[in-house]
Amino acid sequence: MGGNLSGIRVLDLTAEPGFMTGMLLGELGADVIKVEPPAGDPARRRPPFRGGRPDPEQALGWLAYNTSKRGITLDLTRPQGRDLFLRLCDTADVVLETDTPGTLAARGLGWDVLHARNPRLILCSLTPFGQTGPYATRRGSDLTVVAMSGNLHCTGDPDRAPLRCTFPVSHYHGSIEAAVGVVFALLAREHGGEGQHVDVACQEAMVMPNIGTASMAAMTGNRGRRAGAFFRQAKSVQREIWPCKDGYVSFALRGGPARVPGLIAMTEYMAEHGMASPKLRAMDWTKYNHNLLSQDEVDELSAEFGAFFLTKTMTELFEAACTRGLMLAPANTPREIVASEQLAARGFFVELDDPVRGRLRVPGAFARTSGPDPDAVAIAVRRPAPRLGEHTAEVLAEIGVDAAALARLRREGVA
Amino acid sequence: MSDLFAGTTVLEFGGGAAGPVATRYFADHGATVIRIESKRRPDFLRILKLTPNTPGGLDAGEHFAVLNANKLSVALDLSRPEGVAVARRLALWADCIAENFAPGAMAKWGLDYATLVRARPDLVMISTCLNGQTGPQRAYPGFGGQGSALAGFNHFTGWPDREPLGPYGTITDSLSPRFAALLLASALLHRQRTGEGQHIDLSQVEGGIVCLGEAMLAYTANGEVLGRLGNRSPHAAPHGVFRCRDRHGDERWVAIAVHDDDDWQRLVGALGRPAWATDAALATTAGRLARAGEIECKLEGWTRERTQDEAVAALLAAGVDAAPVEDLGDLHADPQLVHRRHFRPVAHPVLGTHPAETHAIRFSGMEPSLRRAAPRLGEHTEHVLRDLLGMDADEYERLAAAGVLE
Repeated sequence: MGGNLSGIRVLDLTAEPGFMTGMLLGELGADVIKVEPPAGDPARRRPPFRGGRPDPEQALGWLAYNTSKRGITLDLTRPQGRDLFLRLCDTADVVLETDTPGTLAARGLGWDVLHARNPRLILCSLTPFGQTGPYATRRGSDLTVVAMSGNLHCTGDPDRAPLRCTFPVSHYHGSIEAAVGVVFALLAREHGGEGQHVDVACQEAMVMPNIGTASMAAMTGNRGRRAGAFFRQAKSVQREIWPCKDGYVSFALRGGPARVPGLIAMTEYMAEHGMASPKLRAMDWTKYNHNLLSQDEVDELSAEFGAFFLTKTMTELFEAACTRGLMLAPANTPREIVASEQLAARGFFVELDDPVRGRLRVPGAFARTSGPDPDAVAIAVRRPAPRLGEHTAEVLAEIGVDAAALARLRREGVA
Repeated sequence: MSDLFAGTTVLEFGGGAAGPVATRYFADHGATVIRIESKRRPDFLRILKLTPNTPGGLDAGEHFAVLNANKLSVALDLSRPEGVAVARRLALWADCIAENFAPGAMAKWGLDYATLVRARPDLVMISTCLNGQTGPQRAYPGFGGQGSALAGFNHFTGWPDREPLGPYGTITDSLSPRFAALLLASALLHRQRTGEGQHIDLSQVEGGIVCLGEAMLAYTANGEVLGRLGNRSPHAAPHGVFRCRDRHGDERWVAIAVHDDDDWQRLVGALGRPAWATDAALATTAGRLARAGEIECKLEGWTRERTQDEAVAALLAAGVDAAPVEDLGDLHADPQLVHRRHFRPVAHPVLGTHPAETHAIRFSGMEPSLRRAAPRLGEHTEHVLRDLLGMDADEYERLAAAGVLE
């Protein structure tokens, strides 16, 4: 099976914040080689573990984001490890890394060295703040990077602290952004250019998730405020996350041509259950403008919808949404996601077989493709995350390291 | 080098953020991105805050303006066959097509991949919507708020004792443009190398679920439904956001992340080694996780007595991972974002000069650039059809007079 990036080789030195970059490139068909220190990546030691018991081959954070990669061990702090890595660079198109700026250079593996060695090589660095600038070497992690993006300030209940997502969304945003940078640099190379150093900053990547409101602040003066389960509109706030019988649903009483059919359908649905007042049934949704409503009007309207949702389960409401065209969605947990009829029909979750770890069910490819030659453009989860050093012999053999030499490297702790 | 996508034309159908932000990556590197729009059914971001009295009408939407810089706009009446015929000519002429309508909309006009590819075998096209182009729920009509809920982000954002919230800004609308730009760029690379085209089907919900892979594995491997933790981390403590002294009546906050025992000692030092913090039981991660609530209370006692600037300076000086919580206005003065020129001014005919944003990638050999403000609706209809597509004057006048060109 090919893929848009077949024939592209990627050496992946990333720590956890950048795991997804190589995973996505691998799903697109690149030959991605994860390079770990001989002791293993720290993510292998972080819970949760499959089965609950600590085991470096069963850390879920490792298993989830290192699929579609081969894996080798190599100690880059030792001269022999560094030399072998440079020999791998001769065969590679891309190096991915997430170290603090200056760290690779201190090991003799900085951009200047790599570029001189292989002018076609692309180096992609994903860091909290970027390679240059006043904060380049400042510490940062998901919480602190999101804090400096405006996104944290705007998330959460008004009466409590600003809030992050429990999972590190800045890693996801930054990783995908880095993959975009890599492919742009590959395209530039096709146009006759050399390899480039691609510099991606998680802080900056977290500004766009504010969907333009950061730029708008300069025009409107609106610096953002937490609204919790509510949405702010011109003269009022209205609920967006509603409790239902067994959980929560997302639904917005907002107008506009795309939403009007859903509002009409919702009113009919409620009327069929005897839960739409004469006033609601008489409502002309085509003339509805949420920006003109006062808070009292919003509250009166919301009360009817809120009461109705409490009589229905997440599943009931979503089934109605799908058949009737309502803009309503359940706040799914992984349980509902794994059971989803839509995802099953698309064959989204896939089973990965691993001779040592056994079978594991994982989210599938991040997109799908079709075309005159489907195999040549396929996106797929190509293999389970590598076991520690699983492909060291195979990969080093490709650059001429034989079994005896590998045994020596292993004895000396280099591989 | 010259702009990477100079000479490349991207035709865009749809609206909101998930599609339009994706094409910005190409526009910011020189691509000619042409939006097909309609006055009868405008992009919802053009009307989000619109009232009958808004000066400038459909061209005054700030939200639309900040997301759609660097693009051209062509206004067509797609309810008429002549309008569809013009769109089809543009589709077969452009280098690639990006659309984020509900599934079926493009097919209704005969502008779907299956139809177009018959006339253009190397067509590259991406379609992105909430649930994907296939499956029983493909026609489900949600926006980003629903995508975030379906993909699990709402469930994982919020306080354990309260309702789920979802990260600000409907996160599937911001993850999807990145996925879409990656997919479209990789398809262009593939066509460059092989001459082959393709159709890409990006489900915004599936993309979000891929990101939450660890949580999905906790369920498929262990049967465990993980929950939302507020700002806490399951691995380290303290890990949270703490109130500082107010500034001019506004709340100010500081984020503090202690990742290991060394970090804790740094924090204890920054606090001036108060008695509560030197308790030996708190020297280990396990000990701190067990008493996270108590530590958070004490820590907030310290931050409350300081301004945000003072707290951040003291913590950074001690080597603690700490940051000011910046509001949307603060970002414009953030020294690092200023250094990277994240915000760049564009001159808009209705809104005046305003900042727009570029992506988070900097290259050693090329630069993103913002050349023009977002288009007025239909601003470039004549330019695109006459100068770029090469339509003759008679035909253009005829279509314009018939109202096909809005």
